[in-house]
Amino acid sequence: MLTTRRAFLSCPVVLAAGMAAAVAAAPFRFALTPVFLDNDAAVLSALRAALAHGLTSDVELVQRRTYQEITGALLDGSVDAAWTCGYPFLEHRNALTILGAPVWRGKPRYQSYLIVADDDPATGLSDLAGGIHAFSDPDSNSGFLVTASDLAGIGQTPDTYFSRTIFTYGHRNVVRAVAGGLARSGSVDGYVWETLAEAEPDLTARTRVIARSEWLGFPPFVARGDRLSEAGVAACRATLLALGRNAPGREALRLLRLDGVTPAGPALYDGIARRMSAIRVLR
Amino acid sequence: MRLAWFRNLPVTVRVPLVVAGLMIVLGLVASQGVLAVLGSLQDARLREITRLHVEGLSVALGPFVPRQDVWEVYDVLDRAQRATDGQRLLLTLVADDQGRVLAATDPRRAPVGSAIAPFTVDAAAPEAVRMTGQRVLRIAAPLVYQDRNVGQIVTELDVTDLLQERRRVGHWLLVGNVAATALLGLAGWLVVARLLRPIGILVEAMGAETGVPHAIPDSRMPRGDPGLVRLFRTYNAMAAAAEARAEAERRLAARERFVSLGRLSSSLAHEINNPLGGLMNSADTIASYAHRPEVVREAAGLIQRGLSHLRDVSRAILDQNRLDRAQQPLCPEDLDDLRLLFGPEAASSAQSLDWRVAADAAALGRHPAAPVRQILLNLLLNAGAAAGRSGHVALDVRSGPDGLHLVVADSGPGLSTDDLARLMASGPVPPGGGVGLRLVHDLVTGLGGEIRHARSSERTAIEVVLPTAGGADA
Repeated sequence: MLTTRRAFLSCPVVLAAGMAAAVAAAPFRFALTPVFLDNDAAVLSALRAALAHGLTSDVELVQRRTYQEITGALLDGSVDAAWTCGYPFLEHRNALTILGAPVWRGKPRYQSYLIVADDDPATGLSDLAGGIHAFSDPDSNSGFLVTASDLAGIGQTPDTYFSRTIFTYGHRNVVRAVAGGLARSGSVDGYVWETLAEAEPDLTARTRVIARSEWLGFPPFVARGDRLSEAGVAACRATLLALGRNAPGREALRLLRLDGVTPAGPALYDGIARRMSAIRVLR
Repeated sequence: MRLAWFRNLPVTVRVPLVVAGLMIVLGLVASQGVLAVLGSLQDARLREITRLHVEGLSVALGPFVPRQDVWEVYDVLDRAQRATDGQRLLLTLVADDQGRVLAATDPRRAPVGSAIAPFTVDAAAPEAVRMTGQRVLRIAAPLVYQDRNVGQIVTELDVTDLLQERRRVGHWLLVGNVAATALLGLAGWLVVARLLRPIGILVEAMGAETGVPHAIPDSRMPRGDPGLVRLFRTYNAMAAAAEARAEAERRLAARERFVSLGRLSSSLAHEINNPLGGLMNSADTIASYAHRPEVVREAAGLIQRGLSHLRDVSRAILDQNRLDRAQQPLCPEDLDDLRLLFGPEAASSAQSLDWRVAADAAALGRHPAAPVRQILLNLLLNAGAAAGRSGHVALDVRSGPDGLHLVVADSGPGLSTDDLARLMASGPVPPGGGVGLRLVHDLVTGLGGEIRHARSSERTAIEVVLPTAGGADA
């Protein structure tokens, strides 16, 4: 990376001209995952506008169904940056780097919620054995890892503890599955549940939070580490960190119910790393 | 028998009623047809909805069912139901090839992993589904993916709206048909009544109420229809002919009275002439023996009896023809008059006369004198003519519970067919012969009575029964 940066700095004129041509030719591809309300066209539009404000090239938002697909696209260069989860970031921490961490309710952290239907008498994970449980994604921290690691703590796995597990590939889908009675319980991103409670109160009203995890690192914006010096990626990082300072960025943050984006390092995700260790031990 | 009241209605009422009735039947048949078509259309619509629903779900769910992807199956079902706002699709559930529920739009009713069997009870195949009157219909169909049966789809359809539509259409059809039928029935009634108006005029002119046909005036003649105009003119011609015939019969009847008297005149002349000889002798005796009071008294007695007899004969003749006796009640003296009138006729033919009057004055008084006298005189004269010389004629007058019975019998050869037709029937008078018997028939008919004819043992008996006005005789 240093080599690249040095080469870039030593040949500013040539590279700048070449990059400008490349940037003008290819749009900046930014990948999204179901970590937030990816079904909301207004949010997508606002986010694209906010990124385009700081980038000189066109912005293409790329939506994929799973974290695995997003991570794969990041690693093979199909996309330039992504908003993913702390869990897949840590799994590929050697290849990926953090562009910034969203700030929600004053801090770059969030919780995982364990939810049941509003008329379910369960009060905790221990009451849910033998039921159907909805996860978001096997690579999601809040939508899988937290509950899986809690079960690992009692020597169980989701497959042994629950009668059946369902992956819905979307935190909103987890809430739908539990609210509709398809699953008895679900593991959901606390930020998404709280945001849904404002946007779709009828949906969340049919669920009840029975357990909250500790505060963990908020799903970060990441890019491949070796591309951080690229103008587009660098501009993307600068744009993300400056979202609160321009109108399109503020509109995107307002719709996302976020306060801003802050620089962050891997240490923010130590809590997730600990949970990863817990299930790794069980495996 | 039950339709007797209907048959008694005038044709101008019956025909419009029949037209209105036929229109009601037509309305009912048409309504039934519309409802049947609506039912088949709804069934076809239901089958189309079901087919599209099942085919759509098969396409959408095909890849997920073999993979047992519960969430994707649920997501498809949930979105499909939201697309219809849950109004038609009450419940849809999908099972794998083992009959275990993968997902349902209402997982609480059909939990994941439960058996689908209870939900297939009474379920119909999509191509066989039809409206049964139930508000919820259940359909079961195999889920085919890549030509392989990978599972099963069961759907509960809410057809309340279709049932309501059917009920609503039936209701409006009923209301509309009742109104249309009433309107058409009324219009049909008016049109047919108008068409039949000439028939009504004809019926009225034929004497529906009075029994006497009369000609139709030009002002009431139908306009425009040559056939009807011809019919009316023909009728008028027939009515004029009937009137002329009735007038002729009236004249004949009047003449018959004088004919009867004419026939009596010779015998009456004898009746008058015989005492005249005695009277003349008595007058001579008085003239010759005026000085002998006992002889004068005897002769005066003879004169008195002779004059008395002459007075009775002349009174009887006068009574027979007096118009002011037309409404007088019958009395025993009327029968005596008849005997007085007919007796000489019988005597002149050396006929034996059996004269029996068993009815008292009260029973006789309930009947008018003039027509009864005319009836009896005609029958007696007819019987006397039929009995011939040295024959036998009998009169029997008695009162019965059903009225006054007048029986005139004779020992003659019996009435001819033509005479019987004149006496008993109301048809045209056969040519030839007199009108005396027809006069009897008309008088008896006019009094509401009846005539019976019996012929046995060379004896002909004509019995006239006259009902008593105001009740039977005591």
